[in-house]
Amino acid sequence: MKKVLALLTVAAILFVSGAAFAAEPIKIGYLAALTGDYAQYGITEVNMAKMVVADLNAAGGLLGRKVELIPYDTKTRNEDAVNAVRRMIESDKVCVIVGANSSGINIATAPIVAKGKTPQISTVGTNPLVTVDNKGKVREYSFRICFTDPYQGALAADLAYNDLGKKKAAILYNVGSDYAQGLREFFIKNYEKLGGKIVADEGFREADVDYRAQLTKIKNAGADLLFLPGMGKDMALAIKQAQELGLDVTIVGGDGYGEFMNEIAGDAMKGTYWVNHTYLEDPGMAPIFARYKEVYKDDCKEFVNGTMAYDAMYWVIDAIKRAGKAEGPAIAKALESTKGLKLHHATLTVDPATHNPLNKAGIILKVGDDLHTKFYKKVEPK
Amino acid sequence: METFIQQFINGLSLGSVYALIAVGYSLVYSVLLFSNFAHGGFLVIGGYICYFALRSGGMNIWVASFAALVGAGLSAIIVERLAYRPIRERTPVTLYMLIASMGMSIVIENLFVVTIGGRFRALPPVIPTNPVNFFGIATTSAFDILSLVTAVIFLVGLQLFLVKTKWGLAIRAASYNLKTAGLMGVNVNRLIAIVFFTAGLLAGVGGIFLSVRYTLYPQLGAITTKAFVAAVIGGLGSLPGAVIGSLILGLAEMMTAGFISSQFRDLVVFGILIITLIVRPTGLFGKSVGEKV
Repeated sequence: MKKVLALLTVAAILFVSGAAFAAEPIKIGYLAALTGDYAQYGITEVNMAKMVVADLNAAGGLLGRKVELIPYDTKTRNEDAVNAVRRMIESDKVCVIVGANSSGINIATAPIVAKGKTPQISTVGTNPLVTVDNKGKVREYSFRICFTDPYQGALAADLAYNDLGKKKAAILYNVGSDYAQGLREFFIKNYEKLGGKIVADEGFREADVDYRAQLTKIKNAGADLLFLPGMGKDMALAIKQAQELGLDVTIVGGDGYGEFMNEIAGDAMKGTYWVNHTYLEDPGMAPIFARYKEVYKDDCKEFVNGTMAYDAMYWVIDAIKRAGKAEGPAIAKALESTKGLKLHHATLTVDPATHNPLNKAGIILKVGDDLHTKFYKKVEPK
Repeated sequence: METFIQQFINGLSLGSVYALIAVGYSLVYSVLLFSNFAHGGFLVIGGYICYFALRSGGMNIWVASFAALVGAGLSAIIVERLAYRPIRERTPVTLYMLIASMGMSIVIENLFVVTIGGRFRALPPVIPTNPVNFFGIATTSAFDILSLVTAVIFLVGLQLFLVKTKWGLAIRAASYNLKTAGLMGVNVNRLIAIVFFTAGLLAGVGGIFLSVRYTLYPQLGAITTKAFVAAVIGGLGSLPGAVIGSLILGLAEMMTAGFISSQFRDLVVFGILIITLIVRPTGLFGKSVGEKV
């Protein structure tokens, strides 16, 4: 009798755990800055990703399983991001990670996802080293959905020199940021190749908030263009202080631009140009932004991050479907072999040698007199 | 030369804001002999009160600033009452208060992160920031001139308060010896409350100007590190020292960034601090006090 009881118990446990296993959701990690300097971008990304997951589960999930999103805060610090990724892989057992929204963090977490065999997709990490290591070898588990800084730097240089006709540029950049260092370098290279002259090249440190000394130098150097390869807040403060010092230059910046800068710097933002990945009026994304507003009762202000996050999630879903199982190595293979995938803002083909998307168009945005950021022009890669 | 004048003006305006914060550090130190690291918190509180009074309350800048100053002052009294008085009554060792103040600074910062979030907030354009030209040789913003003038007004006001009023006399007496002042019939708790209120109020002024210039966020108080360095260079406990130290620091920062390299800025700031401490450990204007029995 006792034996039978024991067998029954074992069978029951097996049955229960077996059932639990079948219902075990597919876990997707989301790494984003939810506090700190870049929180505006990260919160939008996670909101978008949650929307995608809710839609997916409402439509029956993925591979017959529910999908669960596990967001972690990077606090805009590499060390916190590294810990978050460790926890995602080791204790939450996610099969793929989307994010983060900055190159420096993706570079810091790349060795960890490689060791944990869990693919990671950067939304707006544009530095080349995000997907390729120092020796030019592709990082097997690191991907991105955006274009890269060499391309972005060339676009900005072309805009400054040919489109706007500015021949004397100054640069103000954060010396502690991988992203800013890289973008600055590619801008200089391309701008000088076109025949432009860099008249001032000024740096500042991560936590600095006062750039008037550098801006005064830039003013005295006689620059007619200021290139800002920075991230939201520091660029907004620099633009505001430039206006206060009476610095009369055209301002061009990269994809670190965020709509909240218009609130910080106000009028000084008028007529500034920003190289970016996408635009608010994009017909592919318009209905999604409308839904975002409905769900979160707020405009999707950081629409670039919103778009990249939304499409990165759809890319992941497509890859899991093609892989046929929710396991890191298989998903990485599927991501790598993505070809002609129709997403909402672009059609995606991945270069297996670099894990960079091929042929992504660049968008130039311009801040209008009403402080709304508008589409200026679209540049197709040659 | 033009650049020099420009950087000089930039330096003065930065130094004047440091001065408002540094005198708060010195004021508290002169009476209680500890550095109140929660001082940056009062600054942030002042900034947020001003922000919400302007944005949600729809008040004009004068009323909002008044509310911010009083609010920052009161919050300083509350912090003293909650965190420092219990320690003060139990032990004469000021080190515990120093540690408590570090704790309070973290508490205040995180209270804002948790309740209203860490995002950047811009004050509505209540203070003019348009460029002003000085006889064609230098340009500064109207805001810089305004912050310089305001700092001078408040510092002169503080000096008058200390010299001309009875409570000012009591504070000066307490800065020599708090216990003796108490024995002479001064209400020590009220005196300390007044000292904290004054320090908080000045931090509130700094908070409004800093949040207009650098936007408002919970970590804005971190900027007080520089003001603290200025207070130490000038001699902790000495008010003229705090002002002079702040101006030296503001000018040194701007000149370094303008003529050497902006990356050397902090190196120079902390270099000045170390040299001051080696040559004159009590700071430029500090008085060396012998061990009290």
